[in-house]
Amino acid sequence: MSAPASSIPAVTVENLTKVFKAGLGQAPFTAVRDLSLQVNTGEVYGLIGPNGCGKSTTMKAILGLVTPTRGHTSVFGKPSIEVESRRDVGFLPENPYFYKHLNGLETLLFYGRLCSMKGPELKDRAKEMLAITGLEDAANRRVSGYSKGMLQRLGLAQALLHRPRLVVLDEPTAGVDPSGSRKIRDLILGFKEQGITVLVTSHLLEQMQEVCDRVGIMGHGQMVREGRLDDLIAVENETELVLSDATPELLAEIRALVASKGHGAKLVRTGHPRTTLEKLFLEVADK
Amino acid sequence: MKRHLQALAVLLLLGAVKLPLEEAATQRFRAAGLLSAPLSLGLRENLSQMGFAASLGGLRSLVATITYLQAYHAWENVNWGKVDSLFQLTTSLQPHYTNYWDEASWHMAYNAASYYLQDEKTEPFVRGRLFEEHVKRGIDILKEGLRYLPDDARLWHSLAEIYERRSHEPRLAAEAYLQVYRITKNNRYVRFAAYQFAETADPELWKKAYDFLRSSYEKKNQRTPSLLDTLKKLEERLNIPLMQRIPDQRKPMEVAPTELGPMR
Amino acid sequence: MSLPFSIPRIWTLAAATVTQLLRMKIMGFLLVFCVIVVVAGFAFPVMNPEQQLKLLKDVSFGALQLFSMVIAICATALLLPRDLEDRTLYTILAKPVPRFEYLLGKLFGVLILIGSGLLLMDIAFSAVLWLRESLVLAQSVAALQQEGTATPEAITQIKAIVGKQGLTWNLHLGVVAIFLKASVITALTLMISCFASSTLFTIVISFLITIAGHGQGLIRDYFLSGQGGMFKMLFSALLAIVTPDMAVFDIVDNVINGELVTLPSFGLMAGIATAYAIGYSVVSHLLFVEKEL
Repeated sequence: MSAPASSIPAVTVENLTKVFKAGLGQAPFTAVRDLSLQVNTGEVYGLIGPNGCGKSTTMKAILGLVTPTRGHTSVFGKPSIEVESRRDVGFLPENPYFYKHLNGLETLLFYGRLCSMKGPELKDRAKEMLAITGLEDAANRRVSGYSKGMLQRLGLAQALLHRPRLVVLDEPTAGVDPSGSRKIRDLILGFKEQGITVLVTSHLLEQMQEVCDRVGIMGHGQMVREGRLDDLIAVENETELVLSDATPELLAEIRALVASKGHGAKLVRTGHPRTTLEKLFLEVADK
Repeated sequence: MKRHLQALAVLLLLGAVKLPLEEAATQRFRAAGLLSAPLSLGLRENLSQMGFAASLGGLRSLVATITYLQAYHAWENVNWGKVDSLFQLTTSLQPHYTNYWDEASWHMAYNAASYYLQDEKTEPFVRGRLFEEHVKRGIDILKEGLRYLPDDARLWHSLAEIYERRSHEPRLAAEAYLQVYRITKNNRYVRFAAYQFAETADPELWKKAYDFLRSSYEKKNQRTPSLLDTLKKLEERLNIPLMQRIPDQRKPMEVAPTELGPMR
Repeated sequence: MSLPFSIPRIWTLAAATVTQLLRMKIMGFLLVFCVIVVVAGFAFPVMNPEQQLKLLKDVSFGALQLFSMVIAICATALLLPRDLEDRTLYTILAKPVPRFEYLLGKLFGVLILIGSGLLLMDIAFSAVLWLRESLVLAQSVAALQQEGTATPEAITQIKAIVGKQGLTWNLHLGVVAIFLKASVITALTLMISCFASSTLFTIVISFLITIAGHGQGLIRDYFLSGQGGMFKMLFSALLAIVTPDMAVFDIVDNVINGELVTLPSFGLMAGIATAYAIGYSVVSHLLFVEKEL
């Protein structure tokens, strides 16, 4: 990899606004409003938000599938509207479908050829991807017989086939059973280890929390909060004390200590640690 | 939006460029007989909507075949009016197909005409009229066909035969046979024409007939019974000097296998 | 490094389109066609031999035209909406594939399908026609022999008459003309599907334009002759400019009759078809390049 490549962000979105023209007599719809974000090389960035908040439109703009009304997007410094910008990107759409008449291997060969791969190199790489995504046994089965989880994994294989430096995953675990979604989570963690930049959207915040370095929360076409996951979910005026194997007596003593010598400090709660991102998400999204 | 305007501009430009090109191509293909002229308004009304749409959709030949089959069916049901109108449709759909013209006129001049002539339910006077009218119709159909196919020997031949056998107009029959000769260069049609000229009441045409037959007799060494008979008759009628007449005694006929068809 | 376009990529997309369409059981039409040809070839023995051959050709060419037009419109109209609905379009265009390559791949895919369909049907039809021709000839010669008039000249004449209605190279040029027309219709339908909102809309509009295109000669005559009011004139002018003249390719009707297609005429026809295919593809590209997916 060349030296400047690492200093150039994997994804840049600057003041992106996207207005969809509606039919006659209907007001145009603004899907994304003045959105800016940056995904740095090598990180896993999670874009979260309720349905219809403009996540998918933002992704499509990054991939050049829609043209921005204002502002611009680029991938590794290349404007998204240029075909060349897609050379280093792998994309997994939400609920992907593939040509039903092809089998798993043929599907990968098809996408490989679109990326100008060919010959034994392509064949080896396709088989490798099938192995990585656990689809080896299904390689010669028609895609029409695949389960949702298998389609999702085939989608991942397709996205990674040409060794992209950035993968864009739209709801990678939507409709996939827990074990399938765990497999996908592990794969994402694997990308991170390989230095692949990941841009991912999901509703399953627990998983996002497990894999993302940074998250952006969108609502009504705008960025509501953005930052490092650790910073976002840390609550400034609270302190977390995590004990293991604490006896009820010890806990009672701590409560008494806070009450007597707390100088105004209050014990907010005790119990087992839980997802805090979810809470944050609900807080922000419902505004 | 800009792209949409560009797209519209390209579309209009294409339209403006192709219009004269298509006009030229259409004229060229029509002249070469590759395309037929559009259907006349009157005939369009006779076709069903579907038939008209199909004839526009490049299926004229197929529509013609269907109307032809319908005409065939009408013939089996002895519905002469329908046979005529369906054939009219068929020939106008495919005016360059000889067979349709030929068969249409055959139905009228022979089948329909004879049918009315022998129809005992009709008054004899009316029968004769109907016979003549249908023979005339057959002739008109062929003349119409010859406007499209002026060099079609088969149509000229059929026309000559109708003049000869049905309407008994020997001069016209002769002229039609001469047209067949013009196209085929087959000498027997000159003889056929001469026989017809000999049937007229016009001495000038007898002379023409005599010249034709005499030259056939000399050059081509034709000695068929009809030829000798007719020559003899014409020598009498035209008062040809005895020295110039052909020998009285008929030679034994030699069937020459070089000519086609029955000897005349 | 970056080529303006890649033939292997277009080929990959075209091949995928062909298999995609084949999966829709489109080629079932081929079987129906064979039945039609055989029925047309042998079901009407009452007519004179010449007319029998003509009927076989009329029906077969009619079926060829129908096949090519229906596939050109319906198959093409299905392609883009289906890819969009299945989101395969996203995965394809998220690869370094220029949008015009995708369009060309679709266009060539449909053309390859129609072309090979026509080729197969041409072969089947030629075989039946040849067989029927030989039979008709044998029957006619046998009839002559029975009448005792089977002179060499008579046989030659019969051969000439039957041969004109029989299998000739010219007929294959007729099939190529059908293909050229189908190419124009395919490019047209692809163009319409680039801005249409539904498959049904694409199919209806394409059929309407195709039908209007067949009557374009009439429209043009009307427009050029200057009859009718201003409004009618303008309307017919617009129709004449916007619709392609499909009738230019309808030489089949007369090729069936044995009219000969000359090389310049054929070149002219191919030129017009190519102009349309290129023109419509450019417009398709302009409409598709910024289409919101």
